[in-house]
Amino acid sequence: MKGRIPVAILLLLILAAVLTLVLARYGYEFQDRDAIMAPTSAQHLTGTDELGRDRTVRVAAALLIGLTGATAAAAITTLIATCFGLLAAFSTRWVAIALLLVSDLFLSLPWLFLLMMARSLLPLTASPSETAVTTFLVLAALGWPACARAIFRGAVQLRSAEWMIQGHACGLKTRQLVRLHLLPHLQSLFLPQFLVCVPAFIVAEANLGALGLGVGEPMPSWGSMLLELDNSALLARSHWVYLPIVLLVAVLLILESLTSKVETNA
Amino acid sequence: MRLLLTAALRAGRILLLMLLAGAGTILLVRFAPGFFSDEREMDAKYAQAVQTELNQETEQAQSLRLIAIREVKSWLHGDFGESRQYHVPVAELVGARLRVSGLLLGQGLGYGWLLAFCTALPVSALRKGAQIWGLPFTILLAVPTAAMATACILAETGGPVVVLSLLIAAREFKFLRSLLEGAWHSPYLLQGRAQGLAPQALVRMHILPNVAPQLGALATLSIVTALGAFVPIEVIFNVPGLGQLAWSAVMNRDLPVLVAVSLLMALVIGFAGMLSTHDFTLEAA
Repeated sequence: MKGRIPVAILLLLILAAVLTLVLARYGYEFQDRDAIMAPTSAQHLTGTDELGRDRTVRVAAALLIGLTGATAAAAITTLIATCFGLLAAFSTRWVAIALLLVSDLFLSLPWLFLLMMARSLLPLTASPSETAVTTFLVLAALGWPACARAIFRGAVQLRSAEWMIQGHACGLKTRQLVRLHLLPHLQSLFLPQFLVCVPAFIVAEANLGALGLGVGEPMPSWGSMLLELDNSALLARSHWVYLPIVLLVAVLLILESLTSKVETNA
Repeated sequence: MRLLLTAALRAGRILLLMLLAGAGTILLVRFAPGFFSDEREMDAKYAQAVQTELNQETEQAQSLRLIAIREVKSWLHGDFGESRQYHVPVAELVGARLRVSGLLLGQGLGYGWLLAFCTALPVSALRKGAQIWGLPFTILLAVPTAAMATACILAETGGPVVVLSLLIAAREFKFLRSLLEGAWHSPYLLQGRAQGLAPQALVRMHILPNVAPQLGALATLSIVTALGAFVPIEVIFNVPGLGQLAWSAVMNRDLPVLVAVSLLMALVIGFAGMLSTHDFTLEAA
């Protein structure tokens, strides 16, 4: 029962964000020139930013973009990690050493530094949606090593299981053994690894965005919304400026509790 | 003899890690769109013939082999080449900022670990309420570094060291608590308690020596965390350190600076990993 509460809160937040976007009179990029840095009103429930854009709509869009992007990136990263881990576990010794050395290299260098490098070296003239896709793809491309290590360890342990030897003896090929027997056994590893990646990617996007390397304007993201906190004029006018950070922390806490629950059960 | 061989192998691993980090950075930057664009191309005063020469010069400079040779030469020379944006030797740039970042990292790691350990030790011994005591660290863990730094600036309290310390403390508290919980509930400790040993004695004589190897490994992870976090912290607080230099190099596609910072990071992490390895410590003893 306890485990369902965070899921329910998260679903409610997503539902609220979707309804906000569907029922909103303006898009997230619409600039109301008559309401620059406006306080709370009937038109703009949580006020507007320095360009007159509705904050409620932008926060709702940032929540959905952040969650969708991070979830998709986590799924890709888990897939890459699975392929990498299984390849290392079932290939020759030297190939395994080379693959593990690559993952060691990625693990040993600071993640944010790598992300910053990879993200900033991409085209300068990209559209906001392209920057969003690129940002989350870069996250997915760099987030796999720790997950791959865990899957590699799990696969190596199962490699010498009796049912694997039996399968070999029955003439099954390695590919069939992996698909029919190993992957179902490793399922308990995938979900925690996937869930760990989601909040990590949301935080990484927020940090990248705060450095000006995240999702491009006018598309809203957690990172770009954090940049609003640098505007002292905006801070003096409305406390709603803190809404994105409060919501971000709430979402991360929900995901964290969900991850802990799944890890405990696994 | 065996000790020397182990040390040589570990040193070789660090060297390989550094080489791969350097090669990876060169590859990444080489294939970055727009990396070789020259501002002279946009200047109308240059005639078509000069533009063609510029294009030829760029094509030559784009050769991966030539870039690698030039970088290796600059490493061997000791100045790590010349910065594209500041036009000064990279060694000079890095050297001036090394102390600032070293101090920030050292203080952040020291205070962070002190805070995490001093809280995790009593909390791990609790039978009830451990979750509530750990709640502030869970909340801190959910706050992105950049947001924490911005909040400090807005509140006009704390600085880069406070943010880095809080981040390290939040990350390590969870691991330290579970590590120490395991130690508190181990049979030999129950025996010690039953014999009436004071908690201080239990910690000094039994818990600390038993968790020391894991603490070493955890410390290495802390260094990686701190090296990742100090970039946004230095940028937001405007600290003239290596993190700020790395960020500015990334924004301006300054390859020599990027390679130097990557090599430095690989070296620090390689050394930290080597020193924290359990069997190396045992062999040295």
